Amino acid sequence: MPIENEIRRLRFENGEMTQQTLAEKVGVTRQTIIAIEQNKYAPSLEAAFKIANAFGLPLESVFRWKES
Amino acid sequence: MSFREKSAWVALITYGVVFGGYFFTLWQAWDDAHGQGLSIGLMFGAVVALVVVAAVLNVTIALFSPKEANASADERETLIDLKAERISSYALSVGVVCLIGALLIGWNAHLVANLLLASLVIAELVKAAAQIAYFRAGV
Repeated sequence: MPIENEIRRLRFENGEMTQQTLAEKVGVTRQTIIAIEQNKYAPSLEAAFKIANAFGLPLESVFRWKES
Repeated sequence: MSFREKSAWVALITYGVVFGGYFFTLWQAWDDAHGQGLSIGLMFGAVVALVVVAAVLNVTIALFSPKEANASADERETLIDLKAERISSYALSVGVVCLIGALLIGWNAHLVANLLLASLVIAELVKAAAQIAYFRAGV
């Protein structure tokens, strides 16, 4: 997957936010948050913005493009 | 494991066991003079068994995760469903082509009906297997 993310670190830095809490904020299942964290699924732009909003950060602070 | 992955396992196991049993029984009885008459009753029984077993198993897994069961599919689950559906449509297309061939070479109605049923069952098995693979390996 060419998109990497900092979700796990950001959850830890935000009071050890659980995957379930983040999932509820974004409106997806916990399994989808797990898949995103493990780079098994690249979220839609809408979900990516919602994840960034949940941490109060711009999109590029959460997701980055991995050059192959 | 998510509710929808469990549901895909239920579909895979239910279709595999019920129709595996159906086609095995039919295969063994086919040479028998009553074999072809058997297929109508057996087919009806298999469909009823499929509905009952799938309903019971789906209700059971829903009882363990009622919140997920009532929630609509999220974007990843929808994407997995669409991709699995596309793969299953290829399997169904192959079945339809075989069916046309069977009709052209003059297979009887019982054989054609069972070939059609087999195509539908294989398409459902492929869909469930593809869903599980996407849930496990990523999409």
